[in-house]
Amino acid sequence: MEKSIVPLTTLKDGETGIITSIRAEYSRGKKRRRWGVEKRLIDMGLTPGTKVTVIKSAPFHGPLEILVRGSRLALGRGIAEKIFVEVGK
Amino acid sequence: MAKKKLLIALAGNANVGKSVIFNYLTGLHQHIGNWPGKTVEKAEGTLHFKGYIIDIVDLPGIYSLSTYSMEELISRRYIAVEKPDVVINVIDASVLERNLYFTLQLMELETPMIIALNQMDIANRKGIRIDVKKLEKLLGVPVIPTIAIKGVGIFQLLEKAIEIVEKKHIVKHVPVKFGEEVEEKILKLTKMVENIQFQYPPRYTAIKLLEGDEEIEREISRLNPEIVTTAKKLIEEIEKLHGHSCSTVIVAERYEIAGRIAREVQMLVPPIKPRLEERLHNLTTHKVAGYIIMAFLLLSIFYSIFTLGGYVSDLLNSLFYDIEPLFYNFFGVGVTGKLLWSMIEGIIAGITIVLPYIIPLYIILGLLEDSGYLSRSAFLMDNVMHKMGLHGKAFIPLLLGYGCSVPACLGCRIMETQRERLLAIFVITLVPCASRTVIILGLVGKYLGVQWALMLYIFNLVVIIILGRLAFKTLPGEPTALIMEMHDYKWPHLKTVLKQTWFRIFEFIKIGFPLIVIGSFIIKLLEVLDLIRPITLALSPITVTWLGLPMITGIVLIFGVLRKELMLVMLAALLETTDFTNVPDFGPIQMFVFTLVSMFYIPCIATIAALIKEIGWGRTLLITIFEILFAILLGGLTFRILTLTSII
Repeated sequence: MEKSIVPLTTLKDGETGIITSIRAEYSRGKKRRRWGVEKRLIDMGLTPGTKVTVIKSAPFHGPLEILVRGSRLALGRGIAEKIFVEVGK
Repeated sequence: MAKKKLLIALAGNANVGKSVIFNYLTGLHQHIGNWPGKTVEKAEGTLHFKGYIIDIVDLPGIYSLSTYSMEELISRRYIAVEKPDVVINVIDASVLERNLYFTLQLMELETPMIIALNQMDIANRKGIRIDVKKLEKLLGVPVIPTIAIKGVGIFQLLEKAIEIVEKKHIVKHVPVKFGEEVEEKILKLTKMVENIQFQYPPRYTAIKLLEGDEEIEREISRLNPEIVTTAKKLIEEIEKLHGHSCSTVIVAERYEIAGRIAREVQMLVPPIKPRLEERLHNLTTHKVAGYIIMAFLLLSIFYSIFTLGGYVSDLLNSLFYDIEPLFYNFFGVGVTGKLLWSMIEGIIAGITIVLPYIIPLYIILGLLEDSGYLSRSAFLMDNVMHKMGLHGKAFIPLLLGYGCSVPACLGCRIMETQRERLLAIFVITLVPCASRTVIILGLVGKYLGVQWALMLYIFNLVVIIILGRLAFKTLPGEPTALIMEMHDYKWPHLKTVLKQTWFRIFEFIKIGFPLIVIGSFIIKLLEVLDLIRPITLALSPITVTWLGLPMITGIVLIFGVLRKELMLVMLAALLETTDFTNVPDFGPIQMFVFTLVSMFYIPCIATIAALIKEIGWGRTLLITIFEILFAILLGGLTFRILTLTSII
């Protein structure tokens, strides 16, 4: 089975992936800001190695509804794009 | 014998029923205020139980004890510094893993604690069975199953709390042990931290240093910079080993522990057919049906509040103004009588907006939040809200702003960080509330046509988007992002919502009413002292020269600060006509400019009071001054553009 690493937003409804990393862009001077969102994501349980299922996404490029660690989260599309997951093809 | 005192803190995730337990325990003996110097809400209460006077503090609902938000910082400082006798950790039995992640962090803080395993009924319906005894054993913390909305288990919680205090049994939680490589580094750092005096326990400090916690790093580097240097070195080692940031590694390991415990204690018997909650969730977040339901729900809320509210408001008004002649009979129509009446008028003004509009809108917001609908609407509207620098959660408060700015601003509590709250509040003050709608429809709508009124609303939206984005760019702090739990739908607990509404509105009244009374007194005083004319004269460079309006509009704009819905009535009185079609110096252009200025120029006094309560004096002043200047600038430019192009 071939595996690939893609942003969470590319998953179709109902598909599951395993988080490999969160890649909030790094730019100088903004280190703190980046850290904040990343920290918040991992505090909500989106740590590497965790299984995430995309349930659906809101229309007009809205947020994603995901299932992670037995609870349902809404994630803004902007940050969902920065979460990379491994999926089996 | 003097009664013994006890301090209990409630801590846990958002939406786990913490405030329901708080309300059960404290009844009406509670106070909702702010943490000193912060704009984070603090709910305190007292109760008497078995010869103890127990103070209860409801800490903010949070997911972690790091420094992501002010709420998290406040909570952990409170537990470490105030050292409550017992912390009751309320957890949601139906989402055990996520809740245990927070429990583990509380345990790291080494505080005496009890777990209230709440929402057992919801968990049961979801098909989750939990072995309470096993959970107790694995954590080394007493666990009491509760169903807060029915009052089940609350009594046992208190008994257990007292038992813990009386037995003075030093809490022996099973220590939270990390993986070998991490654990070894924690122990090494803990040894170093043990040698210094610090407010947090040494092991906790060591863990937080490895997580890169800014507050603790800063304070430790002041006490002994060597520790921080060592911590940085250890962090690097861990990062090299795992390929992820050290904080990620630690959080992941903590979640692993939480997950392991959850799996060990719970047995899943998934229900065969989808539950009602599930179907309701799917329907209300559906890409078509979701929006239809939302529109229908919100429109009916608005419609009922405004028909009902308008009726009650009129009733109250006529009731109060009936006593006016009686009052003047008694106090005379002289200066004293007039001044005294102005203060009563202030109170009337306050009551006629608080009772029919602010309270119902606020209760509805509470019900929407408590039931879980608010997070669904946030999900549906998130990307629209991003256009104005906010995220989905701000949608409902913003919408309430079209009714009345006061409950809308107070409702911004639901935003998670101070920055988000401030942004949302700022945007809300720009939204035309019902009072401003009176002017827009009654002046522009009636005399220039509905299309112009509509244009004003669209223009307002454009301004909100531009200013919202600008504020979003300028304000320092975390960028706005929606990371939100959508918990299962549940019946809102009406009693809790009502009590919270009462205590919060009461706080608002304490600031608001004196302000409104003083405001009406000052304006009446100016009138009595014959200062209104000179003031409008002094304002005439702005009103007449720059904005092109008749001089008397200066008076109206001043009075409008008190009650915007009366501006039109007052304008009619001053122009000595209710038909504005043929008033000299007040043609279509002037009407448009006047309405535009009224829309933006200043939050009304009740809103100012709400702002002070929520964001403090300084920022309130800043927003107020900005909006005055902005409205003047915009009004003047519009006047010139309209005159030059003669499109009206």
